[in-house]
Formats: sequence, C-alpha cells, structure tokens
Amino acid sequence: MPELRRDPIIGRWVIIAVERARRPKGVRPNPPAASEKECPFCEGREATTPPEIFAIRKEGTAADTPGWQTRVVPSRTPFLKIEGKITHRGKGLYDVINGIGAHEIIVETPQHIENIADLDEAQIAKGITCWIDRFKDLVRDERFKYVQVYKNYGASSGGGTIRHTRSQLIATPITPKRIKEELRGAKRYFDYHERCIFCDIIRQELESKARVVADADGFVALAPYASRFPFETWILPKEHGCDFSGTSVENRLYFGRMIKKVLGKLRDGLEDPPYNFVLHTAPFRHPKAKAGYWKTIAEDYHWHLEIIPRLTPSAGFEWGTGFYICPVSPEEAAKYLREVEGP
Amino acid sequence: MTQLRRDPIVGRWVIVEVEKPWKPEDFAVAPHAYEEITRCPFCAGNERMTPPEITAVRPDTSAPDTPGWQVRVVPNKFPALQIEGELDRRGDGLYDRTNGIGAHEIIVETPEHAKDLPDLTYEEVRLVLETYAKRSADLQKDARFKYMMLFRNYGIAAGATLDHNHAQLIALPMIPKNVLEELDGSAAYFEYRERCIFCDILHQEKEDEERILEENDAFVAFCPYVSRFPFEIWILPKEHKDFFCRSTPQELEALARILKDTLTRMRRTLNDPAYNFIIHTSPNDGQEYPGYHWHIEIMPRISRIAGLEWGTGLYVVPTPPEVAAHYLKGTP
Repeated sequence: MPELRRDPIIGRWVIIAVERARRPKGVRPNPPAASEKECPFCEGREATTPPEIFAIRKEGTAADTPGWQTRVVPSRTPFLKIEGKITHRGKGLYDVINGIGAHEIIVETPQHIENIADLDEAQIAKGITCWIDRFKDLVRDERFKYVQVYKNYGASSGGGTIRHTRSQLIATPITPKRIKEELRGAKRYFDYHERCIFCDIIRQELESKARVVADADGFVALAPYASRFPFETWILPKEHGCDFSGTSVENRLYFGRMIKKVLGKLRDGLEDPPYNFVLHTAPFRHPKAKAGYWKTIAEDYHWHLEIIPRLTPSAGFEWGTGFYICPVSPEEAAKYLREVEGP
Repeated sequence: MTQLRRDPIVGRWVIVEVEKPWKPEDFAVAPHAYEEITRCPFCAGNERMTPPEITAVRPDTSAPDTPGWQVRVVPNKFPALQIEGELDRRGDGLYDRTNGIGAHEIIVETPEHAKDLPDLTYEEVRLVLETYAKRSADLQKDARFKYMMLFRNYGIAAGATLDHNHAQLIALPMIPKNVLEELDGSAAYFEYRERCIFCDILHQEKEDEERILEENDAFVAFCPYVSRFPFEIWILPKEHKDFFCRSTPQELEALARILKDTLTRMRRTLNDPAYNFIIHTSPNDGQEYPGYHWHIEIMPRISRIAGLEWGTGLYVVPTPPEVAAHYLKGTP
C-alpha cells in the first residue's frame, strides 16, 4: 500500500510508493563535453573568466594568475546584475523589481575534476570557506535579502558541458518562496513547542536510525521522511545554528567530510548520477527589516544542505500540484546508501 | 538586464530575461525516443491488455473491452494510489502520514497510436473533454476524495512512458500543496477586494493584449505575466467558475476549439515539444471557494529544472511571456 506523508516543516504531502521500492538506474544522457583545453576554470586559464572576487591562493601570487586553490568569479551569464539601484514598481496587480543581484561561480579546485566527491575533504572545506567569505561580504549590501548557494552536477541537472566542479551563488533582493515557507513553518513549530523543528527531526531520526544515511562528527545525513525524490538526502549540523556563515573552521572540515561521504555514496551506489544540491540558511537580518520579524529565527531555524539525485524526470503531476510520487521509500534509500561503502 | 516578477496569487518571484530573450530555436528539443514495445495496451484491438474499462465513448452496439470506442477510461495498472479501503491517518513521532487511498484512472483519448490532441478534430477533442468532466464528477461523489487532479504528460521529457497519448485522473484524499496555495492566495485577495483574482488577471491581460494568444466566446488562452517556464500557457474560462467538471456542453465545445488551437500553436512554434498540462479546479471538500477560478496550465518541457528552481522555488525564465506570445501567435 502506498503511503502519504506530510513534510512537517512546510506541510507538503508526498506519496511514498513503499511497495514499489526499487533502485532506479542512473540515467544520464550526456551531451559531448566541452574540451578540457578550453575549460575556463582550470589553473592557467584565469584570463578567460571575469576578474576574481575572492580566492584562496598561495601567498605572493597575484589575483587572476595561477597559484590558487579555490577561486570565486562573477558569472559570465548572470541571472542578476550587480550594478544599480533596486526599484520596486507595480504593474496593474503585479509587482516588479529590476533584476539586481549577484551571481558568482565558486571554482572548487584548480584541477579539471568534475565531481566534488572526488576532492579531498580539506579541499572541499576550502570551497565552504569561499561560500562563507562571500556571505559575509554580501550581507553588508543592504539591497540583498538572501544568498542561495547551489550546485548542478551533470548535464541533465543543469550542469552544462564544462566538466569542472564548481558551485554557484546568487544574492537576491527577495527571499525565495521555498525558503520563506520553510522559515514560516519552522517559526510556527517554534511558537508552539519552543523547540527547533530540525533539532527535533535530528533527535527522532537518530533514535529510529531507519532513515539515517551517515552519522559522523558534527553532522548527520538523512533521507527525509517525506522525500520528494528517490534518494533525496539532507545534511544537517547536529549543533543548532540558523546561519551557515557562523560555521567554525573545525566544522567546515567535518561538513566537507560529510559532503564527500554522501556524494561518494551516490556516485558509487547509483552509477554516478547527476544531482543538485542547495544550501538553506537564514536570510540576511538587516537592522531595518520589519520589527520583530526575525525575533526568534536564531532559535527556530536550522541551516542545512539538501541533495537531490536526478534519477527520474519530474512529471506534470508533481510540478502542477506540488505533490510528489517518490518511487523509493526513504527507509529503503537510507538502508541502501548506508551499505554502499563510498569514499 | 533581467526583471523579477511576483505571482500575485501565490507570491512566488521569478526572474525573467527581458533584455536578450531566448527564441524558440534556442531550446534544444529532444526527439521523443520511446522504448519500443511490440503491442500497445491502448490501441484498438488490445483492450484485454488493460484492466476492464470504467467507461468508454462507444456505439451502443459494441461491448465493453472490445474495439469500436473513441475514448476509453481504464484503471491505471500501476496506480499511485489504491481505491479500496478507509483513510487511516496516523502520527509517526512528529510526522503525519496516511495510507494511500485514491483513484488513478487513464483516459485513452483516441484508439489510434501516436496521435496527440492537435491531430484530433474539434468534435473528438470535445468528446475527450466531456469524458474528463464526467469522470471527475463521478469521482467527486466519493467523499474520501478531496481533490481531482487531471493532467497529461506528453513526451518523455514530460514524464510520459508510452507514446499512445492519454490523460490521467488522480483522485486524492487531500488538497495538494500548489492548489492549496492558490486557494489561500485567491481567498486572501477575495476577502479584501471581493473580487476574484483570476477575473482581475483576465481583465488586465485583455487590456495589455500582448500576452493573449486566442479568445473565443467562453475562453481566453494567454502566456501569464509571471510564467515559471518559457512558453507557459494558461487557458481560463471567461465566466467565473469554480469547478471544471460543471462546465456546460457549450463551454466544453468552446474549450475543445481553444485547446486544440493552442496545442497546435505550441507544437508548430517549438517543434513538437514535450509538455504537461494540468487542470486546476476547486477541491471536493464541501467548502466554498468564491475567489477561485478553474483553469488549465500548459507547461512545455523545453528547459531544465536546475538546483535553483527546485531548491528555492525561484524560477529563471529565459523567454518573457510577452515574447513567447509573440512567437506563438506566429508573428515574429
């Protein structure tokens, strides 16, 4: 019998087809890769990108020259532009804002490696440090409300033809819808229980163990109870924190280790599938924000990383309804991934 | 330069590329490469391959589960939900769950293989729509079902697995999230203004004109100002109506015309793209939704949904709806 489950945070119902559980095959219609020689993200080709914004590089080396370990550059085809004043206007019953924001690329290694799971944890942690550094810089810009860090790996996940691992970041003058729903859901739970819903989820999941993919220093990876997609996995810090940019140097290394572990399990267990990941964290809390709006956010919200392997095309039913049919139960998925040795 | 636009119904922001919009030929439309099957379960003559039919449009002289039909409704052989049983709601620690009770039906729209709605006559499309409405109305009698989700997946990129085209009807024991958001958003608007937001959108779109594709006596087809997908199209009844399944015969006839025409435009402009269409209608929960207005949403599947879209609900639309409408009208 299939089961319907409700996401406790935002209230979305999903169908878990518990009896049809099976391991989907990694589908990956790969278009031809761009030539490695022309990769704009490899060491030595710094001149092919816009000037770098930030880099972790060997002392004494100049910007936009070799010698870096991780490098942040503006996107060449940005969704949003950095220059300009934000203007809000109405158009009849619609609201419009001009497309101001930041769109940056975080190149996670100077080597031509495609999957972040193939980097070592210390290198991944350097990428995490880039995210944090960019956060701390962009938060000072009062035009922006939210910074979204995400990654598209593999062509069918939107990763494009350049096979060089990088993540992206966009700063927006609005808080995106899914984030807002999560913030509202977490606040509602906190208002009643005076506890963080994510901490409660971690506690319940670690107790039952059925949906735990990995449990290690500082972080836990789990297949969420109301997974939308087969093998959906979340990584959460065990210690409560609403703002990702407050992550300590030690925890960055643990976070890098967990990212490598989970993505390595996906790579080895599911035939190297395409995937997306998205970092969910508290929006910017500018002093001029509505009074009381963020009063409890430090206690009620909990940053985390959501990973979705792209194994099934999501069909009209899902998009049109926000109601997903997940062909593999999270218990099956977690059990399978626990048993995959991984890196 | 891009623009951010907010959907007035659910509050979703999207990023629209207004400066250098993508043209139809900029999208890589994959050919529909289906798995080869020797016998199609939906073709005339193969009726035994499906579960027994629920209903069919067929002459009185032909027996059920034999050839001679024009439209045929069968239970899904691999249903997402099961029809028998009582709803059993439970808690699981801090989680909620219920068993998967519901109906999952397949509406085979033509006995001929590889024909899509644009290949049918207006009258044949009308018979299909009438079948959609009849099945929805019939399932609404079952109080366990709170929502009738009627949708079509055309092409592999849209999630179809067979190239014999068909629609699906899923009766759900709860209101799905996107619809709930639309219901909440339109109710909030109605409460303040005592007007339906969809009616207001129609007025504004008709005034702006540039996003309208076609209008007949009962329906308007247009590219919504806050599209989530390039070349997204909505079809709205001009008269304020809450339920699709209560459409009059005249309305279904007008809908058949505009639907066939719209899908034909889309096929011609985008080179036979994969697409999904979904009928959004009021729930079957006994409540009144005076601010809600049923409609069809058509989404060509020509761009990829990447991390940003699913992870944040922030969509990047490379072709503004006014430009998409321009192409769809065939006046580039």
